Amino acid sequence: MKKKIIASLLLGSFALLNANGFSKQADKDRKALQAYFEKKFADRKNASTYFPYSTKDELDNNFKWGIKGDEFRLGSYAFDKGGRAQHDEMMDMPPFEDNIDNGKELYEKTPGMKKCFPDPTIAGDYPKYVKGKGVVTLSDAVVSCAKANKLKGWKLTKGKTADLEAYFANASKEKGKRVNVVIDSKEAAAAYERGKKEYYTQRGYLQLSCATCHVQGAGQRVRNEKLSPLFGHTTHFPVYRLKWQGLGTLERRIKGCNKNQGETPHKPGSTWTKELIYFMGYMSNGLPVDGPDIRK
Amino acid sequence: MKKIFKIATLAVMASGIVYAGGDLVKEGAKIFKTKKIGNCIACHAANGVKLDGPGSLGPKLQGLSAWPEKALYDKVYNPYTTNPISAMPAFGKNGVLDDHQIKAVVAFLKTIK
Repeated sequence: MKKKIIASLLLGSFALLNANGFSKQADKDRKALQAYFEKKFADRKNASTYFPYSTKDELDNNFKWGIKGDEFRLGSYAFDKGGRAQHDEMMDMPPFEDNIDNGKELYEKTPGMKKCFPDPTIAGDYPKYVKGKGVVTLSDAVVSCAKANKLKGWKLTKGKTADLEAYFANASKEKGKRVNVVIDSKEAAAAYERGKKEYYTQRGYLQLSCATCHVQGAGQRVRNEKLSPLFGHTTHFPVYRLKWQGLGTLERRIKGCNKNQGETPHKPGSTWTKELIYFMGYMSNGLPVDGPDIRK
Repeated sequence: MKKIFKIATLAVMASGIVYAGGDLVKEGAKIFKTKKIGNCIACHAANGVKLDGPGSLGPKLQGLSAWPEKALYDKVYNPYTTNPISAMPAFGKNGVLDDHQIKAVVAFLKTIK
């Protein structure tokens, strides 16, 4: 009974936060995005519409069809059979286990960290919009906490910050937490809209937008790699990337995306990066937190 | 004698042209396949050309040998002129490839059946 009351209180507060109208457009966008991807990957029959240039062989043998909702937390491994098999094999001995342990130690021993983050299961609650500060990503929050405690060597992209985030993500995942990004003010809604606009804007000398590859292009290949969908993008960070031979945050990954678009990367911690992540985070709302994870 | 000399000269010249053409095709193929230059392979497969894992964002290239050179050049220079919703980058207009490089790519594309 007590549990039920708590659950309904929680649901009530969630509804209250999102019922004030500021997230109306974002909710509409998120639903449309989910519907688009569920339709796109629903059936082999739609392939000529969504994957006009994919080979018959890969459409027949290397796609998992009919994926829905929570499955998108896995990124491209939700539908890429070959990639998924390689991924699962690597997960037999996850290369990020030491990072989680180190993150736990950092959480417990770094002065002030527990005070900044009394609950470590909050990976899905970021980015947040804070009045007067603007968008705060999880990495921003960690680094500014370290700075407030006069600690050095905390970066937005990797190292201690990524390790601590791995611990947060893992704790959130184990507790069954979901992405729960909130838009509860006019300013927050405006930041979301700016992030969205950037996501769909063509940029760099290749004039690609993020959406070229991760909405319309998701599931199609650049060389041998199937592109991952925007829906579910933020759920599994930080990630251990084979290319990096180490762990990195969303900020670190986005720098790489910028380069691929033919653009000088925006600085992690810049308003541009923060607002883009705010939009991306909101698009994954409701999906289970699934980090840390491995990527190529 | 004069005639033979003339023919020989022509033959040398002709082989020179063929040689230069072959070089241009080779250079174009390199631009096509190399990530830091044209990287066409990221999105396109090519009919009859053995490529290591070409992408599927763009169509498989075929029958390009029948295209006029100018049409191929324009497509690589700025694809939006013929297809305003193309996702393909404008390699010439945005300064990714210079005039000579695009000509080399075109020479390679002309070999695609």
